[in-house]
Amino acid sequence: MTTLTHLQRLEAESIQIMREVVAESENPVMLYSVGKDSAVMLHLARKAFAPSPPPFPLLHVDTRWKFRAMYEFRDRMAEEAGMDLLVHINPEGIEKDINPFTHGSAIHTDVMKTEGLKQAMDKYGFDAAFGGARRDEEKSRAKERVFSFRTAQHRWDPKNQRPELWKVFNTFKHKGESIRVFPLSNWTELDIWQYIYLQNIPIVPLYYAGERPVVERDGALIMVDDERMPLEPGEVPMMRKVRFRTLGCYPLTGAVESEADTLPAIIQEMLLTRTSERQGRVIDHDSAASMEKKKQEGYF
Amino acid sequence: MITKHLSPEILNQRRLEAVRLRLDGQTVANTAKRTGLSAPTISAAWKAFREGGWQAVPVRPRGRHKGNPQRLGETEREFLWQQLSRWPADKSPGWTSRELAEALSDETGRKVSPRAIEHWLEARDLKPAPMSLETTTKRSRKGRWLHQQVQPVLERVRSLGGAHWQGGVRVVTNSDGRQARCYQLYVHGKRGVLHTCRFASPPKARDYIELFERLADQGPTALIFHGAFFKASAEIAAWLEQHTDFQLLGVPPNSKL
Repeated sequence: MTTLTHLQRLEAESIQIMREVVAESENPVMLYSVGKDSAVMLHLARKAFAPSPPPFPLLHVDTRWKFRAMYEFRDRMAEEAGMDLLVHINPEGIEKDINPFTHGSAIHTDVMKTEGLKQAMDKYGFDAAFGGARRDEEKSRAKERVFSFRTAQHRWDPKNQRPELWKVFNTFKHKGESIRVFPLSNWTELDIWQYIYLQNIPIVPLYYAGERPVVERDGALIMVDDERMPLEPGEVPMMRKVRFRTLGCYPLTGAVESEADTLPAIIQEMLLTRTSERQGRVIDHDSAASMEKKKQEGYF
Repeated sequence: MITKHLSPEILNQRRLEAVRLRLDGQTVANTAKRTGLSAPTISAAWKAFREGGWQAVPVRPRGRHKGNPQRLGETEREFLWQQLSRWPADKSPGWTSRELAEALSDETGRKVSPRAIEHWLEARDLKPAPMSLETTTKRSRKGRWLHQQVQPVLERVRSLGGAHWQGGVRVVTNSDGRQARCYQLYVHGKRGVLHTCRFASPPKARDYIELFERLADQGPTALIFHGAFFKASAEIAAWLEQHTDFQLLGVPPNSKL
C-alpha cells in the first residue's frame, strides 16, 4: 500500500469535492479571480475531469481595477483550459463609475464584488460556485464550511452551518439556495506554493519579485499599474523590487519587498514569514470583523 | 618545528625562555628541544639579548601598522546626518565625502579625512556602488540597451563638451538606527565620486528637479538614472521638455546593472 504525501491527500480531497459538486448540482460555476489559488483550483478541476475540459464555465467578477497582467493571464488560461469564460461587471458600478479612490475600498468592494457576484449568480442561475478561499487566509474563512450554503438572497449565516464530519458532505439544497464550495479550504498558503512548484502551474508574473513602480500609502506599497492611479502632488513612484503575496484590485493590494524571483525562493520566503498574505489587502482592514460582515452580505 | 603560526605573544615568551636557558648554560640543541624554536631563531634571540638586553629579545609586531583610526563622536555623526538632509550650499549635486569633511571641520573644528567620512557612509549603507556600464554582448538585454540607447546619447553629450553622470534613488533601511528607513538620492560623477543627499520620505518631483538643475548648471549633461518611475511625473516631463541639453536615461527595470 502506498502512502500519499500531504499534498496528494489535499489534491485527492479537492478533486473529490469537485466531482461531488458536479454530481449533485445542476448548474455549477468556478469563480476565477486569476490569483494563485484560482490557478491551483483550475488545475485541479482540469485533473478531476480529464481528458474532457471541466463541465462548468469560469466566472470572473471583474471590478475593472485588476492588474493588467491579471487580465492578460486570465484570457490566456481560459483559452488553454478550453473553458467558457464569463466576465461580469456590475453595470451600476460602471454607470456610477465606482472606483477605490473616490468611493473608498468599502463601497468599491460592496458594489463591484459583492453585488457583482450576486448579480452574476442570479443572471446565469448558478446553484453552486467553486471558490478558492482557504481557512488560513482570514478568521471568518477559517470557520466557514467547505460547502457553504447561501439563502436565495445569497446571505451566509455563520451560526447555521452543517457539520462536515469525516468529510461527508450534505449537499442538499432548499429551493432557491445556492452553495459556495471551497475545495482548497484545508490548504495553507505554503501548500499552494509547493503544489504550484511541483505541478509547474502557471501563475501571474506579479507573484515573482521584480522591479515595479510603487508609491507608499499608509505603510503599504501600491503599484502604479496604469495612468488611472492618482498621485499626490509632486509624487514620483519609485522602482522597487517587490512581489505580491495576494492579488486583487491594484489600488487595494499592497506589495511586499522581496528578492524571491523563483518558486523555490518564494517557498523559502514563505517558510520564514510570520504574517498573513491578506495583510496586503486594504479591504481586510476596513473594520473589525469586516470580512465576516462582507461574507454575510454575500461576498465570496 | 614551524613557529610561523605562533602568535607574537607566545613566540616572545619562548624567545625569552630560550635566552634564559642559554644563560643557564644549555646548548642550542637542548634549548631548541625544550622551547620548540629553531636553532636560527634561538641564535637570533641570543644575539638580540647580547646587543640590547631583555628588551631587545621580543620580535617587532607583525603585519600592517594599525594606525590611529579617526573615530567620529556622537556630535560629529549627528552633524553629518543632518547635513545630508539638505543640499550643499554650492551647486554641487549632493554631498561628497570631501565636502562633508570640510563642512564638519568648519562647523565643529574637528578635522577628519574624506576616507573616514566614506567609512561612516559605508557603515550606514549610504555608499552605493556605481552601476556596471561595461558593454557585454550586444545580444543581451543589457547590451542592447547600452548600445542602442545609452552610447549614442553619451557620444552626443561628449561631443558637446558635456559630462555624463549615473545615479539613482534607493531606500536605506535602519540607517544609523535613527529612523527605520530613509531615502537616498545619489549620483556618481567623474572617477565614481559619490554625491548624495538623504530624505525622510520618498523624494518628490522638486527634489529630482533640484538635482537635475545642479547637474545641468555644469553644461550639457547625460544622466543614467535608476530607481524612479519618471514617466508618471508631469512636472519632471515638463522640466525635461524645457531642458533639451539634459538627457535623462532611465535604467530598464530588472536589468541588474
